[in-house]
Amino acid sequence: MAYKPQYYPGSTSVAKNRRKHMSDDVEKMRDISDEDLTALLGHRAPGSDYPSTHPPLAEMGEPDCPVREVVEPTPGAAAGDRIRYAQFSDSMYNAPSVPYWRSYHAAINFRGVDPGTLSGRQVNEMRERDLEEYTKRQAETEMTDWGLAGLRGCTVHGHSLRLQEDGVMFDMLDRRRLEGGVMVMDKDQVGVPIDRKVNLGKPMSESEAAKRTTFYRVDNCAFRSDKEVIEWTQRIWELRTKYGFQPKA
Amino acid sequence: MVRTANVSNKLKQVKIFPQRLLQPETAEKLLNELDQVKGVVRMLISGKNLPRKITCGPGTGKDVNHPDRIIIHVSGCAFELHVIVGEVLVEVEDDSVAEELRKACERALPFPFEMKRGYFIKTKPTLTDFGKYGFKSRTDETINLEDERMLGLVDPHAKLESNICMVKAEEHL
Repeated sequence: MAYKPQYYPGSTSVAKNRRKHMSDDVEKMRDISDEDLTALLGHRAPGSDYPSTHPPLAEMGEPDCPVREVVEPTPGAAAGDRIRYAQFSDSMYNAPSVPYWRSYHAAINFRGVDPGTLSGRQVNEMRERDLEEYTKRQAETEMTDWGLAGLRGCTVHGHSLRLQEDGVMFDMLDRRRLEGGVMVMDKDQVGVPIDRKVNLGKPMSESEAAKRTTFYRVDNCAFRSDKEVIEWTQRIWELRTKYGFQPKA
Repeated sequence: MVRTANVSNKLKQVKIFPQRLLQPETAEKLLNELDQVKGVVRMLISGKNLPRKITCGPGTGKDVNHPDRIIIHVSGCAFELHVIVGEVLVEVEDDSVAEELRKACERALPFPFEMKRGYFIKTKPTLTDFGKYGFKSRTDETINLEDERMLGLVDPHAKLESNICMVKAEEHL
């Protein structure tokens, strides 16, 4: 029987969603074209060539190394792309992704990633074309609700704030907003205006967000309501405490 | 009308904390409703900053043009919102006004809100205030402010004119 990874314990909706995010078994919710995504990231002009930081690996004449023979380079590494970043902020009011789950999703399902996780945001560094593929996956699927999350390279404030009256997470730089029932974004992730208005689709309703979220919340699905999760969290805590205990110190 | 900020024990403060961050139209409506309540001495609005320009990152210096940074009118006095309104602190003459405040909030806010009583605005001048305004004279060591209601309404380093709105000022002269 083929091995099937078991990503996360628990039987609540949040636990199930967490498993879905980790295994990349996520539903596609919207289409964002490659050009639009490139404009939103703001690292290069849409349609332009990828700037490179070194020649393609095939031309470089790599040293004889068994590890290099075993590990196939990602398309971005093979082409010598620059390292670039994408950063998402997620509202604690039932946004679909906990920042940690964006990191898990990136680290488990993509290669050549350098995820950085903070309480309310998650930044990921990759080779440029790999980054675009990864960002597209997160931006188009149920991992992101553009009303409760945002692509924010800087001035990320919003995760722990109350929502605006229209149910959208506050954005100090007004990169994306609700217009005519859909989210639109007309600035790149650092707030520089772009030459287009990107349609990011309808935001999720409150009930749908509560159903798809990976946030445990007392007013939705409480962490303590899932006995299996508690059991495993305590077991791992106990084992790592014992492992870290050094009587001689 | 009292001319001092909370030096009397009679004055009370109320914090109004809505469930959502207010759009400018709702904030305008709420402030106008609160202003109609008799016994309100002063109000302080606070929330998250709406910067005019980007202050960090590669876009530094570019205009933000946030649609919520607009001019609103409260009792005929116009001022520009610099924040998305998150809470309103209201100082009232006595406790009996609190019920009227609650009714005003219910009229203006389409969602739940919390009201807390306590002291949220400073009750006496601090060293920084004395550094800014000084003493009245060599013999009078009270703060050199004609109207002590100004205290605590703005950061001591900010300009009074662009941050304080005097509603019906002529009635109080």
